[in-house]
Amino acid sequence: MMNPQMEMENLVLGTALELVDGESCFVGIGVPSLAAMLAKQTHAPNLVLIYESGAIDANPPIPPLSTGSPSVTADTAMIGDCLDVFGDLQAGRIDVGLLSAAQVDRHGNLNSTVIGDYRKPKLRMVGSGGAHDIASLAKRVVIAMPHDPRRFVAAVDFITSPGFLAGGGERGRCTPRGGPHAVITGRGRFMFAGEELQLERSFYPFSPAQAVEGFGWNLPIHPGAFCFNGFDESARSLARRTGFNAGA
Amino acid sequence: MSKLLTLDDTIRRYVPDGALIFIGGFGHCVPFAAGHELIRQGRKRLTLCRTGTDILFDQLIAAGCVAKVIFGYLGNPGVGISHSFRRAVDAGSIEVEEWTNFTLLLRLHAARLGVPFLPSRALLAGDVPKASADARKITCPFTGESLSAIPALSPEVALIHAQRADEDGNVQLWGIDGDTREGALASRVVVATVEEIVSREVIRATPERTIVPAHRTVAVCKVPGGAHPSYVQGYYTRDDEHFILYDRISRNVNELAAYLDRHVRHVAGREAYLNSLDPGVLERIGLAGRVGATVPQDAPNPLETR
Repeated sequence: MMNPQMEMENLVLGTALELVDGESCFVGIGVPSLAAMLAKQTHAPNLVLIYESGAIDANPPIPPLSTGSPSVTADTAMIGDCLDVFGDLQAGRIDVGLLSAAQVDRHGNLNSTVIGDYRKPKLRMVGSGGAHDIASLAKRVVIAMPHDPRRFVAAVDFITSPGFLAGGGERGRCTPRGGPHAVITGRGRFMFAGEELQLERSFYPFSPAQAVEGFGWNLPIHPGAFCFNGFDESARSLARRTGFNAGA
Repeated sequence: MSKLLTLDDTIRRYVPDGALIFIGGFGHCVPFAAGHELIRQGRKRLTLCRTGTDILFDQLIAAGCVAKVIFGYLGNPGVGISHSFRRAVDAGSIEVEEWTNFTLLLRLHAARLGVPFLPSRALLAGDVPKASADARKITCPFTGESLSAIPALSPEVALIHAQRADEDGNVQLWGIDGDTREGALASRVVVATVEEIVSREVIRATPERTIVPAHRTVAVCKVPGGAHPSYVQGYYTRDDEHFILYDRISRNVNELAAYLDRHVRHVAGREAYLNSLDPGVLERIGLAGRVGATVPQDAPNPLETR
């Protein structure tokens, strides 16, 4: 029996490892925030966390519910406004954007708007928020998703936040910058080969086959894919101790 | 001339049925008291706009006040979707115009600057511009690049909550501003509820905290606790548990109607609202003792005591 607690920890740990010390990182709420906080407390103490509410170089003591929460401002270097942080983002000064969504597809497009048809949706969700802007304008985008076959689909119902669109260079013809770099789940790390999602490694105890189990298309596994068992145990216990697994 | 008014007079005078309203507060200083007054007075056919909304939008939709929403994000932050919005979309009873947080911010900024549009590098791809946001492709006359033209949006009235103001209407807000200042200054007039009224001298000793100057403000209302369940930096903290509870309540229309009766429709004003909350809440968020009390002007500066 697989351990859901371990899967959640893997998701946060794997996402945190995508962040490089000294980078500026535009952070969303939920797993992105947990991962950025963990990275800052472990291998990337100089990571600059930026929240869309205007907090710059934040260091939240507890996971915030809102980007405008007291936790976001509790130990931050600057409270600007939305124009300050989105301005920096558009100007190409943010290294990495961390996003999650309801759906992701084979080309890294994200949906947080509707399930079903836009005019007659099965489920109306929250919309873009800053996600479209981050996906369009960050130099590189990392996507954190729980391993859930309902969330991994061949084509999202609605492209809220552009990945590689339909592939074949379409993104580059529409918007020149950035694009999705990696997708992290609790079971593995996926990268893009020819603008198409491909499993690069699985996370212990999951095999590569288990990392793509149940997805809505035949997701390719890189020939060199392996099972990674190298997460830092002290980072894992920090994640566990500080409740990083809660609520996400 | 004093702009001090009661909240019910202010809403009656400045927010007619059918108005396009900017609602302030990016997680911080959300004007719940002003929103609840709209519900009590039974406003209809309103258009609400802001970038990242809070559950106040859900409540106004549930109460039947809203014909249209213009937003970047509409939900219960960090908790889930807006159930009342979902039901309204299912019923086809609400007009939806959605942007992204950045591009809606640019709409307000354009209005603030008095220009018909601003260029942006967002909304060049994906379904948001195809399905809803009326951004137009333009070619930069200097570089030849493709850009989005983001049209200005000028609300008729902005409802904002802040820490304090003087009776002239100089409004001071510190902590998270988000898009509050942009939305307020993009609007034709500004209505502010505040935790406390202070003297002109206090304002003029700290002018860097003023986000809306008196000549843009038409009314100021003293409403301590006016941002609960959101928070006011230096005054009280965010009631996260209320947002989680609200998610459960708002899934069910009958439970939500009972909530709105108990906390909004059947309370006379903000003090009664705060007294309608469960025991212990005001202590937990640091609001106990402030209700109905006047904070002396020589009290410690909240910036230093946060």
